[in-house]
Amino acid sequence: MTDLDLSRVWMVDPASGRDGPGDIVVRDGVLEAVTWLDGADADGVEPTGVVVAPGFVDLHAHFREPGNEDAETVATGLGAAAHGGFTTVCAMPNTTPALDEPGVLAAVRGAAAASGAPVELLAYGAVTAGRSGERLAALGELADAGVIGFSDDGEPVRSAAILRNALTYAGAFGLPIVDHAEDASQTEGAEANEGLVATVLGLRGWPAAAEEAAVARDLAILAEVGRDVSHARLHLTHLSTAGSLELVGRAKAAGLAVTCDVTPHHLALTDEWLAGARRFSWEAGTDGDPWRDDAIEAAPYSTALRVNPPLRTPADALACLAALADGTADAIATDHAPHTDVDKLVEFGEAANGISGLETALSLVLAAIDAGHLTLARAMEALTVGPARIVGRERALVEGQPADLVVFDRSDRWTVEPGALASKGKNTPLLGRELPGRVLLTMAAGRVAYEAPALVSA
Amino acid sequence: MTGRRIMTADEIRRATIRLSHEIVEKQAGAEGLLLVGIQRRGVPLARRIAAAIAENEAVDISVGALDITFYRDDLSLVAQQPVVKGTDLPFGIDGRTVVLVDDVLYTGRTIRAAMDALVDFGRPQAIRLAVLVDRGHRELPIRADHVGKNVPTSREEIVRVHLDEIDDEDGVEIERLVDAPLTAEPVA
Amino acid sequence: MTDVLDGRTEAPAADELMVPSVDAAPEAHAVGWRHRHMLDVDGLSTADIDLVMRTADAMREVLARPIAKVPALRGRNVTILFYEASTRTRVSFEVAAKNLSADVVNVTAATSSVTKGESLVDTVRTLEALGAQMLVMRHSASGAPYLAAEVFGGSVLNGGDGWHAHPTQALLDLYTIRSRLGSVAGKKVVILGDVLHSRVARSNIWTLTAADADLWLCGPTTLLRGFESWARRGVGGERRFQVTSSIDDALRDADVVMTLRIQRERMASGLLPSLREYAARYGLTASRLASAKPDALVMHPGPMNEGVEIAPDVAAGAQSVITDQVTNGVAIRMALLYLLAGVPRS
Repeated sequence: MTDLDLSRVWMVDPASGRDGPGDIVVRDGVLEAVTWLDGADADGVEPTGVVVAPGFVDLHAHFREPGNEDAETVATGLGAAAHGGFTTVCAMPNTTPALDEPGVLAAVRGAAAASGAPVELLAYGAVTAGRSGERLAALGELADAGVIGFSDDGEPVRSAAILRNALTYAGAFGLPIVDHAEDASQTEGAEANEGLVATVLGLRGWPAAAEEAAVARDLAILAEVGRDVSHARLHLTHLSTAGSLELVGRAKAAGLAVTCDVTPHHLALTDEWLAGARRFSWEAGTDGDPWRDDAIEAAPYSTALRVNPPLRTPADALACLAALADGTADAIATDHAPHTDVDKLVEFGEAANGISGLETALSLVLAAIDAGHLTLARAMEALTVGPARIVGRERALVEGQPADLVVFDRSDRWTVEPGALASKGKNTPLLGRELPGRVLLTMAAGRVAYEAPALVSA
Repeated sequence: MTGRRIMTADEIRRATIRLSHEIVEKQAGAEGLLLVGIQRRGVPLARRIAAAIAENEAVDISVGALDITFYRDDLSLVAQQPVVKGTDLPFGIDGRTVVLVDDVLYTGRTIRAAMDALVDFGRPQAIRLAVLVDRGHRELPIRADHVGKNVPTSREEIVRVHLDEIDDEDGVEIERLVDAPLTAEPVA
Repeated sequence: MTDVLDGRTEAPAADELMVPSVDAAPEAHAVGWRHRHMLDVDGLSTADIDLVMRTADAMREVLARPIAKVPALRGRNVTILFYEASTRTRVSFEVAAKNLSADVVNVTAATSSVTKGESLVDTVRTLEALGAQMLVMRHSASGAPYLAAEVFGGSVLNGGDGWHAHPTQALLDLYTIRSRLGSVAGKKVVILGDVLHSRVARSNIWTLTAADADLWLCGPTTLLRGFESWARRGVGGERRFQVTSSIDDALRDADVVMTLRIQRERMASGLLPSLREYAARYGLTASRLASAKPDALVMHPGPMNEGVEIAPDVAAGAQSVITDQVTNGVAIRMALLYLLAGVPRS
């Protein structure tokens, strides 16, 4: 079906800053008409029903191909993206072998083409050869081959000297270095956010300072490099602490070319969940104590919660939400990290890090909006033009272009079950939970990427 | 008391005295006798019998308490009745005649458990059994040597012994159970 | 009868009735053991703890008999699965299970296929297929027994998991203190040593604060990491305890001093300069003990590094109740095995 007629739906177009009631017409995959309604025509159309927005852009996902196809392939990953409303996904290069030279990029692109998925796959190149942190990868060749940035994600760029060189060199191409900010000397053997929950549960602490020290280091280097290399760009991915976001805020105010993203799980979930609590961050408040508040509902130590960076305190999560709201955080990125049971059905300290998040991202963001911590307009911006700009793309509801959009129903709910997930990764702590919002349709480049079983015509 | 009374305080007193006479008579004296009450109400009963023997024979008989909680053959009762009341046998039982004392004799499983427990403490010359009420329905080949009162009952009924030391009154009542027959064995 | 239930999430058996036995004392209606597993002490109510104490009393009486054995767990398979070397605790559990006439199977990780990389989940499933009905587990990873409990059909009894919990130790410690001092309420109890890595400390924090002890934690600041914050918030937001790195403040007028083992690895990980410095600043010597109350109890979960965290003369001295702890440990473990055995399988 490459024709679509939606009338009296709530449209959001962050590129033009407009949102409100409207009609959408797609013909033969082209967005033929975008009509904003006003006056009496607009009466009765609320932002709480069916919403149409440009297709989401995910800056950070892990498709495990090549090397670990049991956990996810490019095909299943793109399917999960479409289910989540994403029409462009940026894949991280920590595959096996790492994406550190054009040959591997070609293989990944080949897999995307073979899948026939309409969702666009973009790729990062590794910063260092083999992601070993020792010497730069073939950054120029990768840039020519079309990577949208460089990252050693999974790992930080450990050497400050290497980071400096990478920022400098990549500045010539205008491509960002995407750093996973972690001071590894502080996180050896670390399992859970340093805090009350880790102390009570006897888990090795993962200090906020480990992320903040790395962020500070990166920003200091960017400040110096940026003076000489005008197009040097740094993007800090999955920031998780209040301190990190504060540092980024100050750096931006000083004019540094830094951007950052936060994940849905760092917005909504907290380290309390490790103790067995199941309330969202805004329900816990800045002074949450799951034992005092009698909030323990489930068994502790669920390995679905083990992630890098770890889930932090409610105060940190609320700081992430605030940073998103005031623009300090430019984008929401999922850090989709699928894992097999083998890697997760083990002792907490042995479990692989990562949450399968492409398909639950929108719902968590909608829950935050429902709770009043984010506006729909800002959330859509952070899912579309925010990330798009960082990778040099556009996202807008523009007549005459191939349709690239997502239709979702805020009044509907869905239950997260393994069978309902297109990703091979069932490692989400939200299994069994009913979440708000359901994606009805995702169209990418004029083709249907995902369609819910019973499509509601507005 | 919510059921039908089948023994009054006076009847209990007379039965206790008669039991004490019978015990001494069977032993042809009070030599070598030990009374061991089965927790919970067998214990005050044993003490009463010992007191009666002391009055009549001017002999002090040793009294002990035996808790058979750990000897039951049905652990599913643990969750409901986990309270352990305690075993106290401050004497050796080798070569002695132990008279087990309990309030109600029913299936016989409690007595079987009590004998298992006793033999872990030593080797008595003889074990006898004195009960206040025998309500029938034995499931094991066990019989009481001395019975205060025989009371025919049906399986839908329950016999409750109240003793002043525990229940602030003396009396025995019988009550019909409202629910269907029990799936788990009562401990009696 | 639903008034027996204390609201635990482990479901009672469908055919369960409160048997109106003539033997059941009225107060028995108020208590009932509903926990299918014993993984941590933070889920135990005061009634639960009292029940364990009373059952342990009865078990001590059994231990004093000429034949220290009862048939309560006859026919039950108790499998002891220890991933960490520990002779004393493992033997304590084995003795406890055997005293209840259970069939005991011992699995020590070093000699099993665990070293070949068999996962914990596979090991537990295999043991269950081999007949294990109760699993006593010790593991170096915090939270491991919760994973076992997820896949095991019988009962899991945590014999110590990582830094997290050691429920039987905390219960036997409480039992020991109560048997000597009568009650622990208002008594100054000091836990001295490597608190950070101690599951004994964490479990004792729950039980001792619940019993209203005046609890103090003391050790070098690097080994108290995170506990200052916990102390400020209190346990469950209310029950407070003190944290100090001053051994003089901690020991002054203490009623109980519980010393923890310090391990050589702590030096290697950079947390302490040396064992010698630790012993000099935090070792429990006779002269330091003198600032506690004259009849203060000296405790240690064992095994001891005599001369390091505790001086030999103190360990063997008149105030030491360390051997009590060992005996009480068997009684407590018998009590828990007995109570757990009474809960229906899933």
